[in-house]
Order: sequence, then C-alpha cells, then structure tokens
Amino acid sequence: MKKTIILGVGNPILKDDGVGVHVAEELKKHITKPGVTIDSAFTGGMNLLDLMVDHDRAILIDAVKMENKKLGEVGLFGLGEISAFHTCNPHDVSLIEAVDLAKKLGHNKIPKDIKIVGINIGELGCEFGEELSSEIANAIPKAVELVKKEVESNG
Amino acid sequence: MKTITIDPITRLEGHGKISIFLNDKGSVENAYLQIPELRGFERFAQGRRAEDMPQITSRICGVCPVAHHFAATKALDDAFHVEPTSAAKKLRELMYMGYIIYDHILHFYYLGGPDFVVGPDAPAAKRNILGVIEKAGVDVGKEVIKHRAYGQKITGILGGKATHPVCGLPGGVSKGLNKDEVKDIEKMVKSCIDFAKFSLKLFDDIVLKNKDYVSLIKSDPYQLKTYNMGLVDSKNKVNFYDGKIRVTNQDGKEHIKFDVKDYTKIISEHVEEWSYMKFPYLKDIGWNGLVDGKNSGIYRVGPLGRLNAAEGMATPLSDKEYKHMFETLGGRPVNSTLAFHWARLIELLYATERAYELVNDKEITSDKIRNPVGEPGEGFGVVEAARGTLIHHYKLDKKGLILKANLIVATTNNAGAITMSVRDAAKGVIKNGKVDDGILNKVEMAFRAYDPCFACATHTLSGGMPLQVDIYDNKKKFYKTIKRLGE
Repeated sequence: MKKTIILGVGNPILKDDGVGVHVAEELKKHITKPGVTIDSAFTGGMNLLDLMVDHDRAILIDAVKMENKKLGEVGLFGLGEISAFHTCNPHDVSLIEAVDLAKKLGHNKIPKDIKIVGINIGELGCEFGEELSSEIANAIPKAVELVKKEVESNG
Repeated sequence: MKTITIDPITRLEGHGKISIFLNDKGSVENAYLQIPELRGFERFAQGRRAEDMPQITSRICGVCPVAHHFAATKALDDAFHVEPTSAAKKLRELMYMGYIIYDHILHFYYLGGPDFVVGPDAPAAKRNILGVIEKAGVDVGKEVIKHRAYGQKITGILGGKATHPVCGLPGGVSKGLNKDEVKDIEKMVKSCIDFAKFSLKLFDDIVLKNKDYVSLIKSDPYQLKTYNMGLVDSKNKVNFYDGKIRVTNQDGKEHIKFDVKDYTKIISEHVEEWSYMKFPYLKDIGWNGLVDGKNSGIYRVGPLGRLNAAEGMATPLSDKEYKHMFETLGGRPVNSTLAFHWARLIELLYATERAYELVNDKEITSDKIRNPVGEPGEGFGVVEAARGTLIHHYKLDKKGLILKANLIVATTNNAGAITMSVRDAAKGVIKNGKVDDGILNKVEMAFRAYDPCFACATHTLSGGMPLQVDIYDNKKKFYKTIKRLGE
C-alpha cells in the first residue's frame, strides 16, 4: 500500500488562502485509512518538501488562481501543470524547484506521485481574516470528494 | 516620458512593483517601489486572547514565524509583568539562533548569493540555487541543504513544530530540553559552525578576490548614507534576541540608544500617496523626503544596519570577521547596499557560535522554564528578525484580551532605504533608455540585498522574483513587455 501524505497548504488567517487547511480538517473526518497522514502546512518550497519526504505519494490541497474559471472551481493537477505554485514566501524556492534540486542532489525519498487539488480563489486581497467567502466555502465538499477519490483509486 | 514597470508576477492584488520613469534622453528621472502590506491586523487582533498572539502572529509571515513568535512572546512578558526565568531566556535564544541559521543560509545560497556565485549578468534561468550547484559543485549543494535543515531541526526540537512554533509563553517557554536533545543539537551546531566558516571562505574566494565584484560593491549606485539601527547588548555588540535599540549616524557614532517601550517617541511614520507602505523615520531628525544624509531621518535595519549600529560581535570568530569586513570596506559605517550579503554571512557565523555557547550552558536542561504571570497591562517586545528590527506592541484589558495591537516589521523599517536604493541603482545602470535582462537584474540586486518581505507576494513560481517589465513610450503608449518567469 502506498504511504500517503495529504497536506492542506495555506494561511488560515488570510481568508480564502486558507481553504486548503479547511479541506484538510474536513478530510480528517472522512479518511481513517492506515498509511494515510493528513496535516496542514503554512509553508512552501523546501519546508513543504521536508514534510513530504519518506512518502510514496503526496496530495497537496491549495488555493490557486485559474484563468477564466468560476470561483470555487476545483481541479486535480500534476506538479508540472501548475505554473505558479505556492512558495509561501518570495524568499524560498518553489516546490517545483525544491523537487528538482533534491533530485539533482540524489535525494531518493521524494514521493514519486505528487498531486495538487486546487481550489480557484481568483485574486486574493491582502486582508486578515479567518472566514472564507461563500463560493470558496461551498467548494470544500467537492475538494473533499476529489481527494477521497484520488486516495481510493490509486491506493 | 517612458515608463518601465518591474512587476513581480503573483496572483495577488497589490503586489510589489517597481516603476521606473525615464526622461526624453532615456535616463532615469525617478523610480518607485511599492511593497504591499497585509491590512487589517489591528482589527483582526482586537478582542482575541493575548496568549494566542505568539501563534497568530507567527502566521503573519511564512518567512519569519520564529521572529514574530518571540516578538509577541516578549511583548506578553512585558504586558503580564513577568520576567522569564534565566533558563527560558536561553532556550528562546537558542531556538532563535536556529532560525537565523536556516534563514541566512536560505538567503545567501538561494536568493542573494546566485548574483555573485553565478554572476550578475548570467541568464536569469541560471541565477538560482541550481546555478550555484553547477558552479560550486554537488557536494556544496548537499552541504547547503543539510545545514539549512539543521537550522530547521533545531527550531523544531525547541519550538514544537519547525514551521509553526508553539513554545513561547509569557514568563517562559512550554518545553525544556533533555540531555539527548542537547547532544543532538550540539552535533548539528558544531557542523553549522564549520559550514558558516566555509561560506565566508566561499564569499572571499568568489566575491572578494574578484576585482569586478569588489568594484561593483563599492560603486556609487549602491551607496546609501542613512542612519543605521539594530539591537545591541550592554557592550554594544549585536544581539538578535534582546537588548536596547541603538541608532548610529553617518560617522558611525551613537545617535541614540533606547528601550523598545519608547519607540513611539523615537520613530514616526511618513505616508506617501503612491504606496500602501509606511515610511518610518527618526522623529528628532524629521522626514525630509526620500534622501540620505544626516538631515534625513531615514535609517536602515537588517544585517548591514545591525553591524553598522553595533561595535562588534559577541563571539570570537564572528568578531574577527566583523573587523575584517570594516577594514576591507573602509571603516564603519559601510554604506554599500551589496555588503548586506557579507554582513549576513558574518551573522550566520555569529548565530552558530552563539548557539554553541547556549547549548553547552549548564542551565539549558533546567526545568525552571516558567515564572508565574501578573496582571495584564501594556507590553512591548522587540527582536532582530533576519531582515531587521521587529516590534510588537499590545494593550490588554483586565481579562487579558487584546484592546490594541501595533507591529512595525523589518521591511517597513527599511522602506525608505529600499526605495532609494532601487532608484539610485536604476539611475546608475540605465543609460540611453537601454534596458535588458542584465541591467534589470542590477536594479533588482539593490532590493534583493535587503531580502524584503513582500508579505502578500506569496504565490510565485520561483524564489527569484519573477519579473514582468512593461515599457511604454513617451506618450505612455504600450511599447513592449519583457517577461522573466524565473525558470
């Protein structure tokens, strides 16, 4: 069985940016499979990679911006399909770079399978708050289903 | 008039942006840097339990959770009228050194260093950590990764969770260290000392032995004669965790030294209509616009600001390097913005040495890690974040709920200086309207040295600040776009 880590990525005090964390919390009620860890991460790049090593598979849930899609649209992506991935801060490298770097240095414990469940939040304002807007909150069940399906189908 | 906009591509509104205005001759008339600030923190904090602030504020910024965590914890010590135990202070400082170790390594090798190690004119795609490894070798790359991770592990052992510390409480910490943990940390710290020495040698070999780089560091567009600010101990040596805030002038003399509780008497904030960002300045000198010199209250914080504002380092090896830097660059203060990188490596060495002292301190395994708190009131906390002086200020009600919260973060302290550095670099390198990738990078280098924290610029492809440059002709008609995605 694949050792899987599911990570809700985002900042829970920056409104819709925290949607990944909300989804991860909800998933804890639905998935209790052995070998599956669910956690949240307010970080990116190298630190995010640190959390993923020693797993066969990683599923990241994150707020993304999709061009020409409705707010709250949910999609499943491979790492290479995301053009502007969460680095959490401009000082760190992106996850894509971190994975490249680790491979170049002969790191062999990186998950072979990395998937991203993205929730379209459009443009994010720079205002503090813990509440999600209604379109984004309504997307949580859809994201939960998508992660569940992914865990089951490729387990 | 031509307008050039250097615009980091993020998915967020109000992201950091540089606009450069050219005159008809193609020289730079002026340049503005806009850095967004997260808004509404005060309102967000109001009514919350004060003891939650170290956790909440550590989420403000994914870059420096540890700095916010302890600025908040220290403000709570003050607000609850409690002095932490001696062991607790040492545990906090040891954890803080772990943070400085990983953050300074990250900046030098991933962000600032590539300009020098790979070269300022190298293609953008090469100016990153992968380019550094190509040049310096895979073994160096492995060392970089290993020691950055050590810094993270040290903060993780002490803080509960490396990326989200939970240990700071008013009056102390929630968790001590056992002997096994001490052994683990000591081993990692020893290795980090060697790595810091290696990094300074690498800087010496690659940068200081290259005449072109040295003249770039000393060149006019990268000089700024501001006041300097940083925390110092009782002997005026650099300290990250505690002490008084010292400001030195353009002659390297002390201008003022003050306790954080007096910050509103010393610092004021200027507002410009083109920016959300506030520009702090020294009240007694006053705001005289975006200019440097003795009559302008603008000051610098961060690695170079700290070294300039102090009279040395409190550990032997880093103090030697401190003296070496000032001797090489013509005495204190050093005004060259690019010297931030050198100062950062000297601080890295200091942090490793200081961590070694602390982990070998007999008190570090003490179980006296917390003192009881008193009645809630008003509190001030200050630390030196990797990027500079960070102040938290809270007013609490009788139940210990937040009535008022104010933060001054490092990048805000540097706002005036960064804006001027970008403008001066642009003026220095853009001639006859000629703008290419290498030239833009030299402008970028001016603000990258400060490692500014674009709080909102949280979603970018690469750590190397992807850029979009829009160029308009003198009728403000769109002319062309240069996109650089960092990869």
